[in-house]
Amino acid sequence: MAEINRAWVLEKRPVGDDFDSALKFRDLPMPELADGQVLIRTLYLSLDPANRGWMAGPTYMPAVPLGVPMWGGIVGRVVQSKSPKYSQGDIVGGFGSWSDYCALPADGLNKIPDMGGLPLAASQALFGGAGGTAYVGTLDIGQVKAGQTFVVSGAAGSVGSLAGQIAKIHGAKVIGIAGSADKCAWLTGDLGFDHAINYQAENVRERLAEICPGGVDVYFENVGGKVGNAVVANMAKGGRVALCGLVSQYNAEGAVPGLDMLPVLLKGCTVQGFILLDYLHRLGEASQKLGQWLGEGKIKFHADVTDGLKTR
Amino acid sequence: MSKTNRGWVLESYPVGDNFDAALKLRDRPVPEPGPGQMLVKSLYLSLDPANRGWMMMPTYIPQVPLGETMWGFVLGRVEISNVPGFAPGDLVSGFGAWADYCLMGAEMSNKVPDLGGFPLSAAQSLFGLSGGTAYVGVIDIAKAKAGDVFVVSGAAGSVGSLVGQIAKIQGCTVVGIAGSPEKCAWLTGELGFDHAIDYQREDVGERLTALCPKGVDVYFDNVGGPMTNTIAHHMALKGRIVLCGSMAKFSNPGPELDLGAILMNRVTMTGFILIDHFDRLDVANAALAKWAAAGQLKHKADIVEGLENTVTAFGRLFTPGAPHMGKLLVRIDPTAN
Repeated sequence: MAEINRAWVLEKRPVGDDFDSALKFRDLPMPELADGQVLIRTLYLSLDPANRGWMAGPTYMPAVPLGVPMWGGIVGRVVQSKSPKYSQGDIVGGFGSWSDYCALPADGLNKIPDMGGLPLAASQALFGGAGGTAYVGTLDIGQVKAGQTFVVSGAAGSVGSLAGQIAKIHGAKVIGIAGSADKCAWLTGDLGFDHAINYQAENVRERLAEICPGGVDVYFENVGGKVGNAVVANMAKGGRVALCGLVSQYNAEGAVPGLDMLPVLLKGCTVQGFILLDYLHRLGEASQKLGQWLGEGKIKFHADVTDGLKTR
Repeated sequence: MSKTNRGWVLESYPVGDNFDAALKLRDRPVPEPGPGQMLVKSLYLSLDPANRGWMMMPTYIPQVPLGETMWGFVLGRVEISNVPGFAPGDLVSGFGAWADYCLMGAEMSNKVPDLGGFPLSAAQSLFGLSGGTAYVGVIDIAKAKAGDVFVVSGAAGSVGSLVGQIAKIQGCTVVGIAGSPEKCAWLTGELGFDHAIDYQREDVGERLTALCPKGVDVYFDNVGGPMTNTIAHHMALKGRIVLCGSMAKFSNPGPELDLGAILMNRVTMTGFILIDHFDRLDVANAALAKWAAAGQLKHKADIVEGLENTVTAFGRLFTPGAPHMGKLLVRIDPTAN
């Protein structure tokens, strides 16, 4: 094929927020297909805060090596297959790269089901990493129950907005923490959160003490740092923290405060870190439930789609 | 009554480790038990790092008020009882005070069970709070199992020394962290720990890398602070950290733990305070007695003579490398065995 494969190549590790210097948009040759692989034309690329950690150093995976296209979650169309599992035209999701094309092992791909008229972007916003992470974090790790108080930070994000709605469906009182009045209005107005706290304008610790005098039973942690400690200070006895992400640390220039362990100790709380990779066996159930709730109008999602691989 | 009652009165809140300035030994009237209370003559007083927290801030109990005789866990004999089921002469263990005499209620006190061949001090050095905390922490919270690499800090202390031995009985590989060569030698030589790290003289991170190349499955945290951070970075995938309330020093309670290590290693960290698990004490005491009788579990009471030496002894709990191993007790009544 004579087509060009444009890709964002990681040429050095980013310093602070300077991704422009670290990632360069290059024309690469088309990937060569090995047996058991499929060639995928990327349709959607998912941009997630975790991507930043992958560039910076080893995480739950090795660091992205310098000189290769940046890694990311994609949805794409199979254009060539050397695997009996997929044929040309199939729509698949998987762990690919920030490029027009990628060659991926068939074993690591998921076939995207017919979504009954839903836009394809929904597969990533709802059925991909975000929906699965929200589902597992809220139910398997947070173990939220009816009547409990559930707090989620990063509440207007892809994971947080779904986590709060899932907790609501399970009968919890749901409080979202987000960084603007507009986001807070969206959480309570459109998504049905009971309360929202704007951490840029309000004292999170004091507001939570007012809203949840009985304490927080489940905290879905996406940010860490000061906001995280403000919530942990309000935990109820035996409360659970589902530790999903630490966005405040990824963006930090100075040191971010670590966890204040004293409330965890005194109130007998549990803090559990989790990563969706360990719960891939739960994705089937998660997708089925999320699809059902979507059909019933119980959850809403918002995919913020930017057109074009070249757009920064 | 013409009895004298000396008590350590909390006259100011301690600054740093200066307990001498905060606590004063005063003569006080023998307290009068009200309804639901009993007057107890103190035999032994248990000194625990948690006592410091009680002076500093509200914890799982309110902060000790100024002017109050300092609170503590006491083993004593009932002299007057307004509590059904308790009679004069009964041996009791419970929430009392740093004094010759104290009042106890029914809620936070227990009759001392038949100790078999154990000396009276074993009610505090093996059974009760120390042993109960160690048992619940290792068995119920950490769920230690054979093959686990198990690290305990404050390992030469009353709880830590029992924790490591109970983990060993469960089949774990046990590494203790303590603050002097003598303590480390006691852990590996007498108590059967597999390894000991002297955090005053060795780099804990480097030693863990060498001793636990596959990571730490369970960390039983008795100290908090920067040590927790160091060990969090050495946890095995899906390891467990137990934050133990009995020994929390409260001296450095600020934000400290890098949650990145907890997230990347998918660690589960659980805090606990024994008072939330009192329903497990009977099971714990039975297991502790069995293991001790079989020679699998050693316990050590470090006994200081005389109520007047209480505060000096208490300071040793917070002095790294101080010559103290096992359970620190004050013998208040010189006739107690």
